[in-house]
Amino acid sequence: MTEIHPTPEVLEAFVLGQLCTMEMRDVARHLLTGCPECNDVTASLWEPADELDDPLPFIMAEAAGGADAGDAYDGDAAGGDSYDQVLDRVFKKVVAAESVVAEQRAVGIQLFEELMQVSEERRHLLLSNSNRFRNRMLCERLIEESYETRFEEPHRAIGIAQLATLVAGRLKPEDCGGRDALDGVRARSWAYLGNAFRINFELASSEQAFAAAESLLDQGCVSPLDRAEVLCFQASLLKDQQKFSEAFQLFDRICALYKRLGQWNLLGRTLLQKAVVHGQCGDGEGEMKLLRQALDLIDPQADPRVFLAARHNLINALHESGRSREAFALLFHTRPLYLKTGDRMNLLKLRWLEGAVAFGLQRIDQAEAAFREVRQAFIELGLDYEVAMVSLDLASTYAVQGRTGDLRLIAEETLAIFQARNIHREAMAALLVFCSAARLDQAGIELVREVSDFLKRARNNPELRFSPAF
Amino acid sequence: MSALDQPQVEASLEGFLVKVRPRIKALFAHYKIPPQDTEDILQQALLALVYQRQEVRDPEAWLFGTLRNKCLLYWRGQRRKLYDAVDAAVLECMAEPTAPAQVGADLRRDLESALELLPERCRSLLSLRYSQGYEPPELAERLGYSPSSINKITTRCLAALTRHLVTAGNRKKADHD
Repeated sequence: MTEIHPTPEVLEAFVLGQLCTMEMRDVARHLLTGCPECNDVTASLWEPADELDDPLPFIMAEAAGGADAGDAYDGDAAGGDSYDQVLDRVFKKVVAAESVVAEQRAVGIQLFEELMQVSEERRHLLLSNSNRFRNRMLCERLIEESYETRFEEPHRAIGIAQLATLVAGRLKPEDCGGRDALDGVRARSWAYLGNAFRINFELASSEQAFAAAESLLDQGCVSPLDRAEVLCFQASLLKDQQKFSEAFQLFDRICALYKRLGQWNLLGRTLLQKAVVHGQCGDGEGEMKLLRQALDLIDPQADPRVFLAARHNLINALHESGRSREAFALLFHTRPLYLKTGDRMNLLKLRWLEGAVAFGLQRIDQAEAAFREVRQAFIELGLDYEVAMVSLDLASTYAVQGRTGDLRLIAEETLAIFQARNIHREAMAALLVFCSAARLDQAGIELVREVSDFLKRARNNPELRFSPAF
Repeated sequence: MSALDQPQVEASLEGFLVKVRPRIKALFAHYKIPPQDTEDILQQALLALVYQRQEVRDPEAWLFGTLRNKCLLYWRGQRRKLYDAVDAAVLECMAEPTAPAQVGADLRRDLESALELLPERCRSLLSLRYSQGYEPPELAERLGYSPSSINKITTRCLAALTRHLVTAGNRKKADHD
């Protein structure tokens, strides 16, 4: 065998590991001699996997040849025809599957409505015992609902995501179009549960949920899009845990996945999230650079809210880095977008930002008016943490004007709100320090800023302790 | 690329499939996926797209990103099978009891030449494996690797050997040219 060359077909089967043990042995023995002719054949079959992490050669070849690349392969009549036959078969199946999926989606929505009308206990019973509820689209609807309600009803978001994991756990590959898709749905349902726990500050439970998602990712079959979605939520957890370098690494992986998939809008969203972490690390320049990149990728028509969030963060970053004039100019151009989105929260954020930028431009009266207005609205909405944050901004305007009486009053009122609801122990401790200083007429602008910065950081990290420098 | 340049979603699935057909063939040809193995890859990717179509902004880019990934995973899987097969083949060659002395000597010489071109770590690991028939746990103990990492290291070394077997002559020729 060492002197007789294997045929190209045998060499191809060798590279594909498709020969019997004895043939594998003979070919391996032959290749050990370093036969250049046979290596020509095997090396050409080896090439594709050398591009494992670099799709660029293909993209460039495709760009150079366009559709001709496919036609060129058609020159190989046997291979071209075989691909055509496969494509015909698969396309037929997929077109037929489209209507099945549409039907499944409609059923999933009905099942969701049905599920929401029964008690929590009965929901679990139905999902565990009734085959009717073994529906992928129901799982998708639950995932969606958990995400949509995460801020307004954070506890409900957990419950709904738990139902999603229950449905996902009962699904079979044939319910989802294959094992890979099933693993993707399961991984995503665990990730959404992890995210819901994170928003409720249940970080240990969040970690457990992400561990379940990660074990599915480790099996290696989850699609890149599902993988990126899971990793995105995981990066948010790392951010909340102040594990910034790990979060950055994860964001870079997610960006690489979205680039590979050509999903530019999702890449833009990821850059927006990564920019937030830069901001939290105090890297204002890095934050602004990423936000500009994100704004170039996010489509304002298709994703107006995400685009607005990126613009809002950029204006805020400009203001916080002392570039209030630029912030003011950008705010002027962004105002129509805020008004277009139309929801009250966005308008309040606009007004708040107007106050902050006015303060940066030393227009103290304008700033005070804006902060007062926003504070009153947050009190009416019962958003206590926001009340505290904007109260400190208002306190800043009093501090620079030397209005110690007003400052004391606002400090007392804000502390009273926190004490009445008994929320966020450490934030309350920080407000207590601020209030005590105000009572002694010693609450200067530095202390106000320090308490304000602490409240921003402590919001997602209830474990953070306040230790005043002033 | 500006967000505004993003392509529009194709109105019908059939129209979309007609449009992407030549590119799909080109991609499979580029990655040298045997036609009989493309069916699962393509079906899984397209079904995933049908399920996620509402969330996917640019289905064409998504499909080709996913297909590329699946082609690469396909090759990774094939490679793993090949490493195991090469390992078994070399072990079997070395253990051949009836081989004439000259054949055995030739085999050892060829294997030594191949191993010489591998990194030091792989050389020592594979020498022990093929000359003494050590299994991974014994290799871990002998070479000071942790039992949990030895399988990964062995796979990497087998990958290096297989790569050499499959591409060495090609490289020699290139060097010569």
